[in-house]
Amino acid sequence: MMLDIFKLLGFGPEGWGQPLLLASGVTVTAAICGFALGGILGVCGAALKLSRHGALRLIGQLYTTVFRGIPEILVVYLFYFGGSVVLTKVMNLGGFPGFFSLPSFVMGVLAIGIVSGAYQTEAFRAGFLRLERGQIETAAACGMPPLLRLRRIIAPQTLRFALPALGNIWQSVLKETSLLSVIGLTELLRQAGIAAGSTRQPLLFYGVVALIFLAIGKLTGLGLAQAERHLAKPWSR
Amino acid sequence: MTNDRAAQGKTVIATEDLHKRFGSVEVLRGIDFQARDGEVVSILGASGSGKSTFLRCLNLLEMPSAGRLHLLGEEVRLRTGGDGPSVADRKQVDRLRTEVAMVFQNFCLWSHMTVLENLMEAPLHVQRRSRAEVRDEAEAMLERVGVTARAAAYPAQLSGGQQQRAAIARALVMKPQVLLFDEPTSALDPELVGEVLKVMRDLAAEGRTMLIVTHEMAFARDVSSRIVFLDQGRIAAEGTPKALFGGGASERFEQFIARFNQG
Amino acid sequence: MDWAFVIDTGLQLLPGVPLALQLAGLSLCVGLALAVLTHAAAIGAIAPLRWIARAYIDLFRGTPLLVQIFFIYYGLGQIPAIRASVLWPVLREPYWCAIVALALNTSAYTAEIIRGALAAVPRGEIEAARACGMSGLLLRRRIIWPIALRQGLPIYSSEAILVLKATALTSTITLTEVTGIAHKLIASSYRVLEIFVAAGAIYLAMTFVLTLAFGLFERRLSAHLIQGRA
Repeated sequence: MMLDIFKLLGFGPEGWGQPLLLASGVTVTAAICGFALGGILGVCGAALKLSRHGALRLIGQLYTTVFRGIPEILVVYLFYFGGSVVLTKVMNLGGFPGFFSLPSFVMGVLAIGIVSGAYQTEAFRAGFLRLERGQIETAAACGMPPLLRLRRIIAPQTLRFALPALGNIWQSVLKETSLLSVIGLTELLRQAGIAAGSTRQPLLFYGVVALIFLAIGKLTGLGLAQAERHLAKPWSR
Repeated sequence: MTNDRAAQGKTVIATEDLHKRFGSVEVLRGIDFQARDGEVVSILGASGSGKSTFLRCLNLLEMPSAGRLHLLGEEVRLRTGGDGPSVADRKQVDRLRTEVAMVFQNFCLWSHMTVLENLMEAPLHVQRRSRAEVRDEAEAMLERVGVTARAAAYPAQLSGGQQQRAAIARALVMKPQVLLFDEPTSALDPELVGEVLKVMRDLAAEGRTMLIVTHEMAFARDVSSRIVFLDQGRIAAEGTPKALFGGGASERFEQFIARFNQG
Repeated sequence: MDWAFVIDTGLQLLPGVPLALQLAGLSLCVGLALAVLTHAAAIGAIAPLRWIARAYIDLFRGTPLLVQIFFIYYGLGQIPAIRASVLWPVLREPYWCAIVALALNTSAYTAEIIRGALAAVPRGEIEAARACGMSGLLLRRRIIWPIALRQGLPIYSSEAILVLKATALTSTITLTEVTGIAHKLIASSYRVLEIFVAAGAIYLAMTFVLTLAFGLFERRLSAHLIQGRA
C-alpha cells in the first residue's frame, strides 16, 4: 500500500505529483496577488479611516464592517457570478450571444484582495496609531515635506508595528485560496478533489493537500519572522 | 519598649546558610538571619544586592537553592530534586503563608474583586473562618488604614496609595504573626508615600513583627529595631539604627547611605 | 437596484438562519469543551500527549477549513471501519460532518485563546494569592480562571463571529443554510448583486446581534475595569 501511495503522489504516469505541484503554484500565486491587492486597499482604507473628514471615515468604516462581517465565500460568488453576469450583458449588447464567464483566477484574486484589504486596513490603522506623535512632529519641525515624512518616518514604522497582524492576515489569505476551488480554479483543493474522485482516495489526497498547506504556511511564516526581526533591529537591545 | 520585647521574644524567622541561584548568577551567597517576635527589621541594600530575593525566599515565592529555613519554630521541609530543591509538604507551606503575610511593591490586589472582597478572600477560603467574623475584621482593618470609603470599589478605581493601604489591610485581616513588606512604597508617586509609611509606623508602634525591604532611609532609621544591610548577596552590616547610622559601620554601608544623604 | 427583489430574496434566505445558528452554536459548544481538554493536554505532564495536542492545534490552525470539511465529508466514508460502525448513519450526514469539522477547527483556535488568556493573568496577582496560602484548585478557581476569563472573552467573541461566518462553507457539502440558499438563487436568477446584498445584510445582522450579546456579557464581567479616581 505504501508503494501505491508513492506511485499516486509521484511524477510517473499514474502519479499526481505534477498536477499537485502546478496547483501549489496556482495557490501561492493567487495568495500573493490577493495579499498584494489587499495591501494596496488596506493602505487606502487606513488612510480613509484616519482622515479628518467624517465622510471619508464613514466610507472606510463601511468598507471594513461589510467585508469583515460577510463570509468570504459570498464575496467570491459575488465577484465570479456578478462579473460574469455583467460581462455577459455587455457582450450580448455588443452582439455576441451566449454566456460569458470571467477567468476564475482574476475574479478570485479580486475577491480575496478586497476582503484581505478590509483586514489590512485595520492592521495599518492600528500600526499607525502606535506611532509616537513626537516622531512625526520632529520631522515636521525639521522642515521635512509631507511626502518625505511619509516615506522616511511614517511608513517604515507603521509597517513595523503592523507586521505581526499582517503575518496573520497572510496566513488567512493563503488558506482562503482554497475557496476559489468552488469557482473552478484548479488550485490545491480542487486538484485534490479531482485526484480523489479519479482514484477514490479522498483521505490520501485531502490529507496530502492539507500537509502542503501546512508546509507553505510554516515556510512563509519563518520568512515573515525573519522580516519582523530585521525591521525591529533599531529597537532591539 | 519594642526592643525589650524583642530581646525576650521567640525566634519567628531563621535562615541558615541560605543560597539562591538564578541560572549561573548567585544572588544570595549564604545568609544566616534571625528575626524575633516584635522586631521591626529593615533590610537595606543597592539594586541587585538580593534583598527582595531574600524576602521572597522567606515565604517561598522564591525557592532557595541551598540552606535551611525556619518559620514560626518549624523547619520548612524541602525536597532535593533533579532541578534543585522543591517544596516537600505543600500543606505546610500554605499554612505557614497564612501566618507570614506579604505586602507587594505593586500592591497586587485582585483586579476582579472589590476592595472588601479582596480582604475577605483568603480568610474565608484558605483559613475557613466564618463570613460574619471575617467581614467585621475586614471592615475594622479598612477603618484602620483609612480606606473604608472605597470598600465597594474595584482596585483600578483607587489611587496607588489607597491600593497599598488596602493591600496592607488585606494582610492584616489574615491575623498573621509576621508581616513582610517588599519595597512597599517604591511604586508610589512621592506624595502618596507618606500615607502608607504612616500606616506602617502605627503597626510598628503596636509591636508587630515586621520585615521591611525598603529604600526609605529616614523611615528605616526611625522605625526599625534592627537594620540589615545586604551587599552582593551577603549580610555586610547588621545592628541597631543608632549603631549603623551613627557612623563606624562597614565602609560599604557608609558609601551606600552617603548616596542617599546627598539627595 | 431593485429593493423589492432584495427584500423578497431576504425572506427566501431567512429559513437558512436557524441552520446557520445551529451549526455555529453546536460547534462552538463542542469546540470549547474540546479546547479545554486540548489545552490541558498541551500543558500537561505526559509528554506524548503534549506533543499530540500541540500537533493537533498546529494542524487545524494551519490548514484551510474547507480542506478539513472535505477531508471529513469525503474521506471518512473511505474507511471500512467507520462505514461498518454504528456511527456511520450519523457520520455520513453532511450536517454532522459539518459539525465535526467546525468543532475541531474552532477547538484548535480556542485552545490557543485559552493559552493566551491564562498567560495574560498578571503574575503579581497570582503571587499575592500564593502568599496568602492559596494553591491548587482553590487558586485556579478563585483567582486565575476568573481573571483569565475576563482577558480571553473579547478574543473569544471574535472567534465566535468567525465560526458564524465559517458556517457559510458548509454550503459546499449541500447544507442549505443562508449561503447555500443564496448560491441556488444565483444559479437560477443571475441577479447576483441583489442576492449578495440580501445575504450580506442577513450575515451582518447576525454578526451584530452576536457582538451585542458578547458585549453585554463582557460589560457584566468588567465592572472592575472602569478607571476612576478617589
